[in-house]
Amino acid sequence: MEEQKITRLVIVGGGTAGWLAAGIIAAEHFVDTKTKTNKRSFELTLIESPDIATIGVGEGTWPSMRSTLQKMGISETDFIRECDASFKQGTLFRGWKTGHDDAYTHPFTIPHAYAETNLAPQWQSFRDKVDFAEAVSSQNTLMFKGLAPKQITTPEFAFNVNYGYHLDAGKFAEFLRRHCVEKLGVKHLKANVTGVISAENGDIASVTTDVCGDIQADLFIDCSGSRALLLDEHYGVAISSKSDVLFNDTALAAQIPYTKESDAIESSTLSTAQTAGWIWDIGLPSRRGIGHVYSSRHNSEGRATEELLAYIASTVSQQAAEAATIRRLDFMPGHRTKFWHKNCVAIGMSAGFIEPLEASALVLVELSAAMIADQLPANRHIMDIVAKRFNEKFLYRWDRIIDFLKLHYVLSERRDTAYWRDNCDRGTIPESLSERLEVWRHQCPWHRDAVHVDEMFPSASFQYVLYGMGFVTQQSTLGSRTDREAANIGMQLFQENADKTQRLVGMLPSNRELIDKIRTYGFQKI
Amino acid sequence: MSNSVILNNTIHKDLKVITKTGEAYGSNVMHAMTFPTEFRDVQSCYPIFFCKDPATGQLYPTALFGFEKDQNLFLNGDSWEASYIPLMIKRHPFLIGFQSDLGKGEGAKKPIISIDMDNPRISQTEGETLFTDSGDPSEYLKQSMARLEAIHRGHEHNKIFIETLLKNELLQSFTLEITLNNGSNNQLSGFYTIDEEKLHKLGAEALASLHSQGFLQAIYMTVASFARIRPMIDKQNAILS
Repeated sequence: MEEQKITRLVIVGGGTAGWLAAGIIAAEHFVDTKTKTNKRSFELTLIESPDIATIGVGEGTWPSMRSTLQKMGISETDFIRECDASFKQGTLFRGWKTGHDDAYTHPFTIPHAYAETNLAPQWQSFRDKVDFAEAVSSQNTLMFKGLAPKQITTPEFAFNVNYGYHLDAGKFAEFLRRHCVEKLGVKHLKANVTGVISAENGDIASVTTDVCGDIQADLFIDCSGSRALLLDEHYGVAISSKSDVLFNDTALAAQIPYTKESDAIESSTLSTAQTAGWIWDIGLPSRRGIGHVYSSRHNSEGRATEELLAYIASTVSQQAAEAATIRRLDFMPGHRTKFWHKNCVAIGMSAGFIEPLEASALVLVELSAAMIADQLPANRHIMDIVAKRFNEKFLYRWDRIIDFLKLHYVLSERRDTAYWRDNCDRGTIPESLSERLEVWRHQCPWHRDAVHVDEMFPSASFQYVLYGMGFVTQQSTLGSRTDREAANIGMQLFQENADKTQRLVGMLPSNRELIDKIRTYGFQKI
Repeated sequence: MSNSVILNNTIHKDLKVITKTGEAYGSNVMHAMTFPTEFRDVQSCYPIFFCKDPATGQLYPTALFGFEKDQNLFLNGDSWEASYIPLMIKRHPFLIGFQSDLGKGEGAKKPIISIDMDNPRISQTEGETLFTDSGDPSEYLKQSMARLEAIHRGHEHNKIFIETLLKNELLQSFTLEITLNNGSNNQLSGFYTIDEEKLHKLGAEALASLHSQGFLQAIYMTVASFARIRPMIDKQNAILS
């Protein structure tokens, strides 16, 4: 008997997740829309409800988005102009350590000479004199100064220092839709999915729509948002709540215009700790996205709103705070117990959602879609094996995200509210994180901390957060050969980093200046 | 800094322009923008590369005179030793200004000849006169105006030339590595050149299109101009020995 071949894919849902997944998969499997040639007679249809508004989560991306866009054949200039995008070089955390004027960065660029040398042990002796990120990375200074990560002469997608983007999620979904439909041959149906028709083996045979009839496919991708139309409503795959580890479950979001057109565009996501959560501040070319994500167990909506408005008043203007329209989003922090079941796989909010502390939403969409594109099962039999691999990989990834986000909280010295005290309660800390923290008390994170080759967070990220938050690693007095060698060249490397920083500060334009130039001239491809 | 004013046959009646070359007159430049219309002459003396305007990131073809900032290997004392000097060098102290052209509607601008009064070539006593006694342009000024006209058209031409090269993916970034007789290695980066592999693989249709636009010849003259690098290295070696 010939196994059923996998040639027809249907994506249910047309938000950022749906269109991003469509673009990633189509770019990998379509050959040319002009000649319509493709060896697998591959078909990708996206069904978008004309009635459901997109949530537009994830206005911050990881650097991975650059290669994702490039692979789809998107021009970076078009993307920046049309998605109101700007450059993001990492996150700047304020008030997380003590709540009083403290600040540190988690830059996207790994520490200087990181591949060969671990500078973290060398830095320990200078910890009172210079911040960790400043000592090992040029990007720290660039972030505090709001400079761009590149120049107008730098080719598209290339950089002086690593970067991702801040973008308007609504515009991004629309931009991707056009690209998917016009360039990548994705079929777009505007209809509401009203039912699911099962096959004998329990697979989804087709989805029923209100205006386009029944749509059959070999693989269904559920991008229907937190509702998870297929994975949850049809298959009943539950959410595994993580609210015992990460308390934040409510977000208050506002869009605030700049006071004047020439106002600086920050080149980092600003994250400012509050009494029971934190406020994000994302600078786009045309506006700022400011929101408060907090724990409803620890704070009332009224109090959280006051904190948000106070932030807007002090960082933008009293006027802006008074004019602000605030939108509330409730979410249960957590993820599905599995993401791929039968011939259905969930991507985006349907797979899970967690506070946007390290902008993990869009990168998970990229990674999920890339794995589907890469391992697209040849037939139905293989699909179960690929599904198993997918579930293992993404459960592992979710665990690592949760550990990494929790790390930001457990290192805090804040004890001013129950929220911060509860966050440091040992019972709320996953064992995998506690264990690593124990190890890091005696040795600095480095390549040895990566269990898998494709870890979401490189060990450098742990270094930036640990030492940014003032964590102390007591180096062994014995000193290994590797450490002694690093000590010999440590000072030279710190000096190289300082020289590089000075050079970059001298040559890089401000984030606003570069965005304006891109609007006028665009980037070259070479 | 330039202090440009629109040229006027009353105000600038007695003005003279020194046409010598030399460091005093800013001839110590490493490279200067060039245009396909002068490639035939340029490639007989200098290598032609492409570089980016640091302010805009836009690419343009440029004639190379030296291997480092402010170096012009063709300058021997005050003498520029080459059979051809590119338009963008010869144009000084004149430049193109733009004046609103009300006859052509609001926002329309027409190019107009301007002169940089801070340029060291400006003189009251020495050099070429600009106007005849009757106030008409002198032969020298007429030639200068023709050069500016060629530059003005050249800018527009360059835009299309570059667009076409990029569209056909014929440009590539490159680093020129020069080993001198004294053993020193020098790297020249930030320049772009014709990707010859891509050029050789172009199909008949693309070639015909390049030819009809007059760019095919310009592309091959650029490729041929690489041969001018060797004499420059020889000059550099001679200076160092």
